[in-house]
Amino acid sequence: MGNYLEYANAPVLLTAAIVVVAFVALQSALFLAVALKRGAAAGLDRARMLKALRTGVTTSIIPTLPIVMALIAIAPVIGTPVSWMRLSVIGSAPYELMAAGIGAKTMGVDSLGGAGFTPTVFANAAWIMCIGSFWSIMIVSIFYKGIKKRYSSKIQADTRWREVMTGACFMGVFALFMADPITTGGTALVTFAAAAAAMTLCLVLVVKLKLDGLKEFALTISMLAGMAACVLWTSLAG
Amino acid sequence: MNTKNGYDPARYERMNHLIGRLTLPVGFLLTFVPLVILWLRFGIGPDLKALVQGIFSISVLMAPVSIVEVLTFSAMLGSGAMYMAYLSGNITNLKIPSAAMAMDLCDAAPATEEGEIVSTIAIAGSVLASEVIIVAGVLLLAPLGGALSHPTISPAFEQVLPALFGAIGAYYVLKEWKVAVAPIALAIGLKLVGDIPTALTIPVCVLASVLTARFLYTKGLVGKGSPA
Repeated sequence: MGNYLEYANAPVLLTAAIVVVAFVALQSALFLAVALKRGAAAGLDRARMLKALRTGVTTSIIPTLPIVMALIAIAPVIGTPVSWMRLSVIGSAPYELMAAGIGAKTMGVDSLGGAGFTPTVFANAAWIMCIGSFWSIMIVSIFYKGIKKRYSSKIQADTRWREVMTGACFMGVFALFMADPITTGGTALVTFAAAAAAMTLCLVLVVKLKLDGLKEFALTISMLAGMAACVLWTSLAG
Repeated sequence: MNTKNGYDPARYERMNHLIGRLTLPVGFLLTFVPLVILWLRFGIGPDLKALVQGIFSISVLMAPVSIVEVLTFSAMLGSGAMYMAYLSGNITNLKIPSAAMAMDLCDAAPATEEGEIVSTIAIAGSVLASEVIIVAGVLLLAPLGGALSHPTISPAFEQVLPALFGAIGAYYVLKEWKVAVAPIALAIGLKLVGDIPTALTIPVCVLASVLTARFLYTKGLVGKGSPA
């Protein structure tokens, strides 16, 4: 192995990856421009819209770090351009690893990288990663507009229920991801519990001491507290 | 909400759908460009027989997951947010938490005009921020790789998701614990049963949560805070 990496890291591929990543940024910039215009027309004040943008940025910093770690892990196997592109578009790190695994497995190779990971296996893994996202893209591109129309006409009548229901949807998704560390136990549970405790403390401070500014950073602070507890726990246990 | 004269949400909705329906397929096709270059220019192409097999395997997995996820996330995100989330990916670990926090901090209820705008702005910020961080990661690949994989701190990076959902979970539980109990108990139960695909667990948990909320709502126990 190794010889295909020379091609997988070729400047022309890096250029292609840059185009893809730039395209994703362009789409976001377009939607951001439309939303800011819409907000201004709808009477939302500037400070609130800036706060929304800031929250989007600050809440994303720490959750992006595992993506960087995944990139560092798979770049030596499939090259930097393809890994970078895949982790910046459609899907998530677990999906990409699963898809690459399927691509390799159909060629009779069980691991990513290693002696059996020939150029053809690499190509199959990369093609499956891209083709696998066809379904979600196709469904959203073709059917989402209709789904959205149906949803909003159905529940338009009762706006209060609509708010409660959407909040409940978020809770349902979060519950699923909360159950993971709770059932795994060990380090995951320690991290989870510490982050939850830190968030509770932050919110108590916000309410008792009226520290409204703290609310905006509560998520980041709590995540850092969870991760610090994790480091402490593993160094004590290990 | 104070709206200026002539504000027409439908116009912006049409614009969002137009941008989204153009950019998603184009973005999807663009991802194939590096692969085609590898194939045509360097002769590194897939084995077609294995590829067909792989397409079958991944489709069996992804088609049902995709249908269920689109139906679920459609109820939570606005149109612009939805198209961005799908092109940039990382929906449950980045986009949904960002949108949830932003709507809460900005006092914009989800599924309203304000929520739509706020969540779209937040997700745009999220996409751009994580792209910048990933670029920094690419540039600092070697030095950063060394620092982040230091044995003392590397466990922390494996536990980012538990930290994220511990923090945001606590936030949501404190906000409306009555709605939270049933879906969390159910999610734990499902995890203990074994490896059930998310195509099943996501809708089951969301449905349990919505049914609980409906029950509490009809009893007048939740949803009193906001004006009708």
